[in-house]
Amino acid sequence: MGKETSRRLSRRAFGRGAAAAGALVAAPALLRWRAGAAEPVKIGVLLPRSGFLALIGQACQRGCDIAVPVLKDMGYAVELMNADTESSPDVARTQAEKLIREGAHVIVGAFESGATAAIAQVAEQKGTPCVINIGSEPKITEQGYKFVFRNFPTSPMLVTNGLNRMKSFFETTGTTPKTAVLMHVNDTFGQSMLAGINALAPKIGLPFKIVETIAYDPKTRDLSIEVAKAKAAGAELHMVVTRLNDAILMIREMVKQKYEPMGVISPGSPGMYEGQFLKTLGKYADYCVSNVPWINPKQEMSQTLEKAFHKAYPDQDFDLNIGFSFEGIQICADAAKRAGSNAPQALVEALKATHIEKRVMIGGPIRFAANGQNPDQVSAAVQNRGGKPLVVLPPDSAAEKPVFPVPGWQQRT
Amino acid sequence: MRAPFSSLFAGRPRRAPAALALFVAAMAAMPLVAGDYLLSVLILVLFAAYLAQAWNIMMGFAGLLSIGHALYIGIGAYASAALFVHYGTSPWIGMLAGVTIAALAGAAIGALSFRFKVGGVYFALLTIAFAEFTRILADHFGWIGASSGLFLPVANRATSDVWHLRGAPVMFYYLLLAAVLALLALGRLLLGRRIGYYWQAIREDEEAAKALGIDVFRCKLAAVTLSAGLTAVAGVFHAFYYNNLYPETIFAIGRSVELMLPAIIGGLGTLFGPILGAFLLTGLSEALTNATADWGIDGLKQLLYGLVLAIVVVLRPDGIWPWIAARLGLGAAPHPPASRVPPSARERSEGALPQGQP
Repeated sequence: MGKETSRRLSRRAFGRGAAAAGALVAAPALLRWRAGAAEPVKIGVLLPRSGFLALIGQACQRGCDIAVPVLKDMGYAVELMNADTESSPDVARTQAEKLIREGAHVIVGAFESGATAAIAQVAEQKGTPCVINIGSEPKITEQGYKFVFRNFPTSPMLVTNGLNRMKSFFETTGTTPKTAVLMHVNDTFGQSMLAGINALAPKIGLPFKIVETIAYDPKTRDLSIEVAKAKAAGAELHMVVTRLNDAILMIREMVKQKYEPMGVISPGSPGMYEGQFLKTLGKYADYCVSNVPWINPKQEMSQTLEKAFHKAYPDQDFDLNIGFSFEGIQICADAAKRAGSNAPQALVEALKATHIEKRVMIGGPIRFAANGQNPDQVSAAVQNRGGKPLVVLPPDSAAEKPVFPVPGWQQRT
Repeated sequence: MRAPFSSLFAGRPRRAPAALALFVAAMAAMPLVAGDYLLSVLILVLFAAYLAQAWNIMMGFAGLLSIGHALYIGIGAYASAALFVHYGTSPWIGMLAGVTIAALAGAAIGALSFRFKVGGVYFALLTIAFAEFTRILADHFGWIGASSGLFLPVANRATSDVWHLRGAPVMFYYLLLAAVLALLALGRLLLGRRIGYYWQAIREDEEAAKALGIDVFRCKLAAVTLSAGLTAVAGVFHAFYYNNLYPETIFAIGRSVELMLPAIIGGLGTLFGPILGAFLLTGLSEALTNATADWGIDGLKQLLYGLVLAIVVVLRPDGIWPWIAARLGLGAAPHPPASRVPPSARERSEGALPQGQP
């Protein structure tokens, strides 16, 4: 019996048997791995959909939501897990923990600097990749994080790009003002922009001199004194750093006081390209220029996105918040597809190798430097024309030619 | 040392120490069963409980309304974080600096107010004003990062470094739990001391307290200074737990209001009320977040949260803890501030100062 057994179970036969048994045991795991690769990547989206940033957070959410069907048509499988940060960094942190616990493979967010810093930290601690859709605080990508990627310009990049665009704007129009007055909102954002302008203007070599800087309270209901002061300065250019409500107040007051500089230009702030500004001011909103990152109207991808967006949200603005939020989801979907897996490390490696040519925003292909920052961000000159914000520079993305000096308030029809 | 410890439970029913021991044991064991998310929620609970307890010393014990306590959180946070970032100083040493500065700031605000007879809502407005202008100052103070924020280095660590407060959330959980329990004990001891009785006398009727010979100025100053210094401790933990600080969020009025709520809902002037309030409010907030997440109506959570708070305030104006404690037999009859006690109840308690709240 023993002899027969030993003949049957030779070393080679045992090896074959062990291999077969191993394969049998491993088969479910392999099947699960394959199934995992086909599983849609779960993206935890953290945005301030309530609280004081609700309006902009909801706009960003629309950009993420519309990405799902658009990317599906392109062959990407994504699933969103949405969470509201309530405009609070503390809530952002807890919600990030919750999304990761519930199985998010990657997180995207969070618009506001404090919340973005909080979720980036959670992502790093948990070893879950994080893609920042909007958030300009430079320090977030200076922390040596390995799991954090940002597809948005840092605030120094925004100021540099905005001021450089101003130079090219005047070169293109052939008219360069010699003096400017700078009117800015006196809050954290306005102060950091002012510091950036003061620091970078001499390096960039602005072609005009800022003769007066006028700060105003962000909650102001009346800008008559500030606008009168700006008018009295007699500068050719009116440079502004605004938010929405104060931008409307300012233009109204300029019209009322018949203050007619050669133009109104922002080196990179919200307000003047927003739907509410355009609707409220009508023809007076026209010709205002904002040098901000913008959607490239010439890209096939942005045209597809715009079509889908207006179909889903006919009354909503299609602006940079939508564009960057869409790209945040696109980056995750692209990485998951190339990785062939939703495992964190595989996603991180794929994110590092990101090179997306077909994007919606103006700028080079989406890629990330070693610190996780996309270095190829561009600011467009967006001029309001006929009640719409249109790209006028750079020339290869322009929908219209820039106009400067602009027609006077009473010459507009 | 035996006397202070035994005095913690003097006058309490026998089941009170047992209930507290059960609570401590359950909290101590929680990290063993809680996942990362639940642990982070519990850390929020402990933050809220600690801050409400510290605020309660001023408002609940001495009747001084502060709506600018975020000032002291910010001072503690920035002092310890800036010293750590610039000089590598241990946060425990930074805590000494933060607590000292916050206590001095509290004393200065208090001295200014009490010397010039700024009381009631005007005192509350003054506390907001100080928090606001400190926020504006911090926005322009480059050494602490100004409006760009102050970031502490973050790294994944296998072990916790308690001396430098670098480590996993569970380390912060136990530190905060210890701080909450220490403050509970401190509150109990203070209420049983002369200063505690003086505070409560001032809270009930400042003029009468003065007539009895109580040095009202010094007692009120002590309450503000102590409350400010203790609040700064939470600021230190906040800085090292979140690892980033922005003047706009750390000094925000919203934070000052939030930290008051657990004490108000739990029971002003009680010892365990702020802790219970922190559990209820944080739990409610998280439950509503989860419940409303799939409904797709932004802001619904805040609406429901406000509604629940309003209902609680209407049904239990003296807070939930005195009501629960009375039913569980865990304390003497509650003695909330007199202004909120119905006349009949006030008459019943006349003639005796509160013996320390449950």
